[in-house]
Amino acid sequence: MAKERSIVPVIFILAVFIILEVASLCLVSSNGSLQKIWIARQGHRFQAKVWGGTQGIMQYFSLKKQNQALAEENYQLTMALGDRMAELRDIGADSLAAKLGSHADFRYISATIVKVSRNRQHNYLIIDKGSEDGIHLQDGLVTPSGIVGIVDAVDKHYSYAISFMNPEISISARLGTDGAVGPLSWDGKSRSGGVLKEIPLQFKFQPGDTVYTSGYSAIFPPDIPIGTTGDARVVNGATNEIKVNLFQDFSTLKYVIVVENIGREEIMSLESVAFGEG
Amino acid sequence: MMRRSFVFVYIMLLAVQMLLSDFVRISPYVTLTILPVMVLCIPVKVPTSLTMIIAFATGLAVDFFSDGVLGLNALALVPVALLRNPILGLVMGNEMLEKKEGFSMAKAGFGKVSTAILMVQALFLVIYILADGAGTRPLTFNALRFAVSLIAGYLLSLFVVGFLAPDNR
Repeated sequence: MAKERSIVPVIFILAVFIILEVASLCLVSSNGSLQKIWIARQGHRFQAKVWGGTQGIMQYFSLKKQNQALAEENYQLTMALGDRMAELRDIGADSLAAKLGSHADFRYISATIVKVSRNRQHNYLIIDKGSEDGIHLQDGLVTPSGIVGIVDAVDKHYSYAISFMNPEISISARLGTDGAVGPLSWDGKSRSGGVLKEIPLQFKFQPGDTVYTSGYSAIFPPDIPIGTTGDARVVNGATNEIKVNLFQDFSTLKYVIVVENIGREEIMSLESVAFGEG
Repeated sequence: MMRRSFVFVYIMLLAVQMLLSDFVRISPYVTLTILPVMVLCIPVKVPTSLTMIIAFATGLAVDFFSDGVLGLNALALVPVALLRNPILGLVMGNEMLEKKEGFSMAKAGFGKVSTAILMVQALFLVIYILADGAGTRPLTFNALRFAVSLIAGYLLSLFVVGFLAPDNR
């Protein structure tokens, strides 16, 4: 109440001040030709600033909608790219390879991350798509900047995925587009560090070489850029262990693309038959 | 009696300002004005809103009876009235405002009175010179006009304080 009492006179004084100043400006404007132009110019400048500011605020509040539209567009483009890549494989490869290629096709679904952990040792993500949207166990999560995780549990409308920043995940990665293949896992420390293991010593590489998905895991499509190589060390005198600087920044992650290997079940049943016979 | 004498002196000084504006033109760099100090000397017990209205009317009267653009003095004088109490509080202490006492050269001291005069004079001149030039004058001209007018106005204002805020008030 006391605060109200002290605010009211201030508002009254400001109102009187504004009225008197506006009256003075009107008088100045109507009696001085130079002042009229000057005041009009200042008015326009103020108007432009206010409009610019309003536009900026409106754009800020529409960012969510724009991000969703961009994620949707990204998903459509990824789908189209996948189709074109399959067509190119069909054209370029021989008949046997083309047949294998068509079985190994991937399906893409865009999703928004609703929850994510980044500071634990075992990190995870929850996305807003579930079984009703066509998400399955062991689907991969990717972005244009690399891999994000693997779906580990699926509900009707949401899915739980293990983040790449989790020691339980190891994916098959390749040095360059046609180099050696080895398991890539999180370094357990930073948000942008990975370790590529079991690279035979005879394979030469330079720091800064790009690391891609190999496509051997039946989860991720091949040739997705993951990161660049850093320092390396020899393990047991037999293989190289290479540090990888990931392209994916996990601290700004908001949207992902879920990739489903359409031929995965067939590959797995084939594997179980082969191991069963073995 | 005291109020009547203040009003009388205020009106007399208003007439002096009209004469200054009309007949004393030393140079385009000099704007002689005692209006800010007149507003500064309005008794503290007069509410700020009323002080602003008095300042507006004073500025308008000077503009009307002199050659200048109508509204220019009023435009520059109303902010002086708005900031009069904060300036007095800052320079002379809030106790004076709370007791609603008037100030004088003997009570407040030459330094504090001079500071208050320079502050209101500077505020008035910044607005007046910018609005009068209307973006057509170069910065150097405006800066020089401001400096010369500030000194001239300050010296004149020291006399005005003696009339409007006498030591026996």
